[in-house]
Amino acid sequence: MRLHYDADTEAFRAELRAWLEANRPTAEERRAEPLESSAHLTGWARRWQRRLFDAGLLVPGWPAELGGRSLPPVQQLVYHEEMAKLPHERSANPQGLGIIAPSIRDFGSELLQAKYLVPTLRAEISWCLGMSEPGAGSDLAGLSTRADVYDDRFVVRGQKIWTSGAAHADHCFCFVRTDPEASKHAGISVLIIDMKAPGVRVRPLPDLTDRGHADFNEVFFDDVVVPRDHLVGPLHQGWSISAGSLAHERGMMWLASAARLDGTLERLLALAREPGPDGRRLGDSERFRDTFASLYVDAQAMWFMGYRGFAKFARGEASPEHSVLKLFGSEISQRATRAATDVLGVEALDVASEGWSFDESRGAAPWMRQYLLTYGGTISAGTSEIQRNIIAQRVLGLPRR
Amino acid sequence: MNFEVTAEQQELVASVRSVLARECPTALVRDVVENGSAPEQPWKSARELGWTSIDLPEAAGGLALGFTTLGLVIEQHGSHIAPGPFLATVSQFLSLVCEAASPEQLARFAAPAGAGERTGALAIDHGHAAEQQPGDGLRARRDGDAWILDGEPRFVLDGDVADEIALAAQVDVGDGVGLFVVPQEAVGAKRVAALDASRPLAHLRFAGVRVEPERVLGTPGQSARALARALERATVAAALECVGTCESLLERTVEHVKSRRQFGQPIGAFQAIQHKCADALEQVEKARATAYFAMMAVSEDDPRRTLAASMAKSAASDCQALVCKEAIQIHGGMGYTWESDVQLFVKRAKTLDALFGAGVAHRQRIAALLGV
Repeated sequence: MRLHYDADTEAFRAELRAWLEANRPTAEERRAEPLESSAHLTGWARRWQRRLFDAGLLVPGWPAELGGRSLPPVQQLVYHEEMAKLPHERSANPQGLGIIAPSIRDFGSELLQAKYLVPTLRAEISWCLGMSEPGAGSDLAGLSTRADVYDDRFVVRGQKIWTSGAAHADHCFCFVRTDPEASKHAGISVLIIDMKAPGVRVRPLPDLTDRGHADFNEVFFDDVVVPRDHLVGPLHQGWSISAGSLAHERGMMWLASAARLDGTLERLLALAREPGPDGRRLGDSERFRDTFASLYVDAQAMWFMGYRGFAKFARGEASPEHSVLKLFGSEISQRATRAATDVLGVEALDVASEGWSFDESRGAAPWMRQYLLTYGGTISAGTSEIQRNIIAQRVLGLPRR
Repeated sequence: MNFEVTAEQQELVASVRSVLARECPTALVRDVVENGSAPEQPWKSARELGWTSIDLPEAAGGLALGFTTLGLVIEQHGSHIAPGPFLATVSQFLSLVCEAASPEQLARFAAPAGAGERTGALAIDHGHAAEQQPGDGLRARRDGDAWILDGEPRFVLDGDVADEIALAAQVDVGDGVGLFVVPQEAVGAKRVAALDASRPLAHLRFAGVRVEPERVLGTPGQSARALARALERATVAAALECVGTCESLLERTVEHVKSRRQFGQPIGAFQAIQHKCADALEQVEKARATAYFAMMAVSEDDPRRTLAASMAKSAASDCQALVCKEAIQIHGGMGYTWESDVQLFVKRAKTLDALFGAGVAHRQRIAALLGV
């Protein structure tokens, strides 16, 4: 066990920091073209991701032709540590880069790889992920969007929901039912659907914080024709792609979440040093200090747990402990932001956020809005309840019903 | 950052686990609790296998393997709710002695304890431990070359059974801290009716106890740093033992829900039970990761060690609160009985939470260290 990295790893960090300092988008660039969703590739976002690709710093574990430099796991970890410290994402289309590109690389035909992989990495095209449906949320395998199979094409009919970025995405990596007779998990396939194809309709679904804030969408497919060669992986084998796809994200996802949490606690510390509604410094309250310290310990523990899990991940072992990190991180964020709204009292009710943008390039949202946004974390990508089921069944080995 | 246990450490942990499983079954702990017996084990094994000298400097005849290795062994003692003088001797008494002793004192006090021939305790003010202050329960005043001790330190682990008592007292010079070692016979002791009788606590009484210069550790008035560092070790050790106890209690609880059947199925198939177990695991993982970080920070003398020690104690506190609550609840009627071993684990964990400052005290300390 050790607390520090070796000299080579620290040398890589120093090189990376210098590169980021010279190449990352400026605050002015970002404010001028704020991101409106998680698939919105603005000018600066495209240029930035392209620079990362060209420098071999986009997917550091991959070879140079795929925007990497085949770095060993520990240096990948350091890379993600540094990227998590940036005030903006590594990609303006995180699902495209983190889930869909690796899935195409692992499961896509030569044709699909040639057509979509490098353009995705170079931020020439953006993606949404068609998974959840009105009738298939936590029970994802219960999806019913149907694709009829013909020799030369699929015809897709159905509806997706909670589809992040669909209003801006060029393509949808879409899970559809191709064999209605087969058992739930067995009849699913993955198709790449052009979002501009006739019959695709997107309806934005604003979240509770703001009628104008809509990363989520409903996506309707009305007899959409998809070329037969746009099937990813074998027919009816889509379920295993879903497990593989999401695994790509999980190895390092905790890191971004831990870094965001650090940011939240920094803002909470700044709040503690200001006078509260009664004129006293919040930090003078023993109760607030207790709350803050408790959150701080949990946020730090997130890092420590992540590093422990990473060791397993680096050895290529499955680590369902990532469910613990997902559960833990999303719930601490909720507690931290709620703590701020608690102590602010009526002040928290002013949610004016003029100029606030999806990517926070124009500053952090008001605390109340930050708090409400945390429910995205405890609900999306497997609700907290589903994470607890996974922990109980796959980590502790309790029986399934 | 690498929180992985090395192959050597893994091997040691496995051997400690198997020795404790054999020599320290819960029946032995129960015998201590119910009959006040004083078993030879597992202290005898700790002595014979050299666990007592793991983190002792070579100058005092120790193995000098570092605090991390010792911490992993302490965690295993917690898992087996081991009774006996191990925790107080190696993580409390030796911590203070090794921080402040002269070479002669190391040979005289640390070496015999490290060899497992003598046992030790540490008398400090638990109410001020989180702030790393000596408190005012015990005062020392100069008398020529010697010092005179007066006061009544309370809740001293092994305070009436250890051979030697290391202690911190308030002095009116310099930084206000004096450190001493006194033989147990020189001190009055009253056994506490302790929650966990396998972790004996005593109130001590120092009534004009005269301490000769060879039993004064370091220089009174220049000892605050040594006290702080010793407290960090003792605090992290308590957190690690607490984590071990909680891990073990959760394991037992999970076994119980897999085998206990109601309504025609194992109760572990019910989501209400599954979610309690998942939350308990989250707390165990959190407390272990935090305690390991603190253990490494102490071991590597990292500047974060003070903050890390308080964080470890706070996380262990959260962990024991939830794991113990759910363990009793999930065991149902049996969990409420004296006969179930659940109570042994619950009482050990709560005791370790309270010693050296409970979670609430350490959270105030954390807030102060962070400048809240």
